[in-house]
Amino acid sequence: MGERNCLEGELDRFGYSYDASFVSLSARHKPEMVVRPATVEEVSHLLSLAYENEIPVTPRGAASGRTGGSIPLAGGLALSMDRMTRIWELDEANMMVTVEAGARTADVYDFCAARGLFYPPDPASWKFSTIGGNIAENAGGMRAVKYGVTKNYVMGLEVVLADGTVINTGGKAIKNVTGYDLTSLFVGSEGTLGIITKAILRLIPMPKKRGTIQVMFAELEEGCLAVQQMLVSGITPAAAEIMDRICLTAVAKHKNLTLDSSFGACLIIEIDGSDEKELERQTKAIRAIAEGLKAFRFNVAQDSKEAEELWAIRRGVSSAIAALAPDRIGEDISVPRSAFPEVVRRINAIAQRHNLTIAVYGHAGDGNIHPSILCNLKNPEEERRVHKAVEEIFDAALAVGGTLSGEHGIGITKKPYIRKALGDEGVKTLRAIKEALDPKGILNPGKIW
Amino acid sequence: MELLNKAEKIVNACDRCGTCLTVCPLFEADGIERTAARGKNAIVRALGSAILEPGEEALKALDYCLLCRACVDACPGKVQTDEAVIYARQFLTDKMGGAKGKYRLIGRFLGSRNSIKGMGHVLSLLRRLKINRLLPLGLLPDEYLTAVAGPIILGSHTNKTSHESFRVEKVAYFEGCGMRLFFPSVAEKTKSLLHATVRRLSIPDNFCCGLPHLAHGLMEDFIRLSEKNVALFSDFDVIVTDCASCGSTLKHLARFIPTKEAASFSQRVMDLSEFLVKMGYTPRRQEDLSFTYHDPCHLIRGQGIKWEPRKLLSQAGDLREMSGADVCCGGAGSFHLDYPLAAKHILARKKVSIEATGAKMVITGCPGCMIQLSKLSIPVCHLSQVI
Repeated sequence: MGERNCLEGELDRFGYSYDASFVSLSARHKPEMVVRPATVEEVSHLLSLAYENEIPVTPRGAASGRTGGSIPLAGGLALSMDRMTRIWELDEANMMVTVEAGARTADVYDFCAARGLFYPPDPASWKFSTIGGNIAENAGGMRAVKYGVTKNYVMGLEVVLADGTVINTGGKAIKNVTGYDLTSLFVGSEGTLGIITKAILRLIPMPKKRGTIQVMFAELEEGCLAVQQMLVSGITPAAAEIMDRICLTAVAKHKNLTLDSSFGACLIIEIDGSDEKELERQTKAIRAIAEGLKAFRFNVAQDSKEAEELWAIRRGVSSAIAALAPDRIGEDISVPRSAFPEVVRRINAIAQRHNLTIAVYGHAGDGNIHPSILCNLKNPEEERRVHKAVEEIFDAALAVGGTLSGEHGIGITKKPYIRKALGDEGVKTLRAIKEALDPKGILNPGKIW
Repeated sequence: MELLNKAEKIVNACDRCGTCLTVCPLFEADGIERTAARGKNAIVRALGSAILEPGEEALKALDYCLLCRACVDACPGKVQTDEAVIYARQFLTDKMGGAKGKYRLIGRFLGSRNSIKGMGHVLSLLRRLKINRLLPLGLLPDEYLTAVAGPIILGSHTNKTSHESFRVEKVAYFEGCGMRLFFPSVAEKTKSLLHATVRRLSIPDNFCCGLPHLAHGLMEDFIRLSEKNVALFSDFDVIVTDCASCGSTLKHLARFIPTKEAASFSQRVMDLSEFLVKMGYTPRRQEDLSFTYHDPCHLIRGQGIKWEPRKLLSQAGDLREMSGADVCCGGAGSFHLDYPLAAKHILARKKVSIEATGAKMVITGCPGCMIQLSKLSIPVCHLSQVI
């Protein structure tokens, strides 16, 4: 593979020891070697060697994951997919694209968009994260409310199994019940069952028109209700993002703006359709719902620049919040849509009980919430309170029928809580699958449970 | 340790998201994590928490940086990786017993006005005799000495000179070493442009701006030179420079020299394009002239100057915007000498962008970029040569 593609230097190995999670840097997380294969044959050969010699293998896309999924916990090989970026084929008749796992999601999106086709999954990291990583984590994004998540677009996969065997799952046939649905099994498997090297992705026609609307409410609850009423009445926004008062204050501070103190929640909605008329119809319906809920302000972006400005508020929220405190623990719970206001109430109570600031923003359209605990982890007493609060947030999510993670995966950071969500029997079932596919336990060891 | 603390404080704001991976020209070239800003930030953090040992390898990793600030620009949290890299380089350099011989040599050479002038004469003589090109590549004095043009050192986000009380009674020209050594005829053009716009122009015998020193672990020399320049220009209303690197360095002194005088000095520094637009200068239009413009890192991200050169150029001729005009050309001071392969790779991408415009020449505002872009077959000019 060449010297540049097998890195052994200490500094190089260190570079592959972390991801975008809050797992602290550690010398123990360094892989023993970084390998950067360029073909499926190379991946297969590496895996067969690793299998024979029982060497742990931790696959990695852009290391933009939020739960430690690509951190090598047991040394061995860090398998970087960054050189496998080819777009193999665009099948316009079937509206499908075949890409290598290391291709950046944004590059795939752009490639398809240039031909009038739409790959909708848009995790916040889509500009730099890879398709392989998105599939391994079953990444979501803002468009999930209307268009679903990554798994809804994966038609088939090329996977290298633990012993180096290459299999192909699924295919271009829409209907396919031949054997177990292995494609779905590998989607969201966090690199523990096999190395995804190639994917066939389903595409849809690109919506012709898009519009952006911003609505301000007094309370978060009203914003959530607005989204519910929209969906029930048949208006499905392409995205419906909500931010609470703490987020708004943070954004205002970050951008040096003054904020009307009566604003308690901001809802940003994207609508799309085939023509202006359809957008107008949706806008009118949304306006009626917002007015029924006593919205303060109803802004319709007049051009793409204004739309961009509105979305910049949402995209800037994460770093604006991060600037408020030395540390930020961002979570990713997901609940049934109707339980959104209830779980936020519970989160606010948790914040009060533990004397912490917890900002809440998320995808109101699909019930995926990102509570962010703003804290200083250097203070051990505060750290204890933070951990307690995290646990209670998970309890709250489970209590209303939700789950630990909507789109980030379990990785390392949510491991301690998985039994609460799945029960012992559930985890045992996961383990049985893992043992069947990776009997020596070399693939991404130490993750999920 | 104080230097490392300063660097650490900056990189602690990095949450490792990966946004910088898409904009770093070096990461684009080699794809290895330690190259990107995220990798460098993690190295600094690891040095601070004893996960990595300070040493040659760490310095090598941090040295491999254009300081082009593309990462800072893209970063959602605006983490000033370039600044952290400079502090960490100084920390590691000190730790290892001082700057490398070649940097010390260059630093000493640039620290003296006489040696720059002397070398300027030698180079112009070689040029006049047209024998400079005959020298083999490795010995070509042009090439070796460009190491002094220096990469970047910039501060907080782009800041322009404030002109609350814009006085132009006493205007001075700051002649950078890069201009003096390699482009003396361009410097003459700049001077005549300034003569045409102000009543009285002074050309004090300035010292090097100190950027090469700052970038390569010679911070004390940088401070010494800066203090001399601050004193030399204390009496001028405006200090104009036609070198983007000098300009951005001079505008950000306050970060390293916390005196009122240094802050006041920085406030009075202006880039040539900024100054000419402010003065209402309108170039004469040459109808048959078509060019494209390359943004020097130190101008667009170092000083936030984007539209001024474009305004002047669109008045002067047919300005054809290239894609990725603000992407580093790979020159970056001595970078192109230290890492010729990476610099060549970056330049090759620039070449494609330039050629796609069909323009007859490329214009820029920094001698560092001019040296690098001269390696292409298309003519390269400084802004002051076409307006």
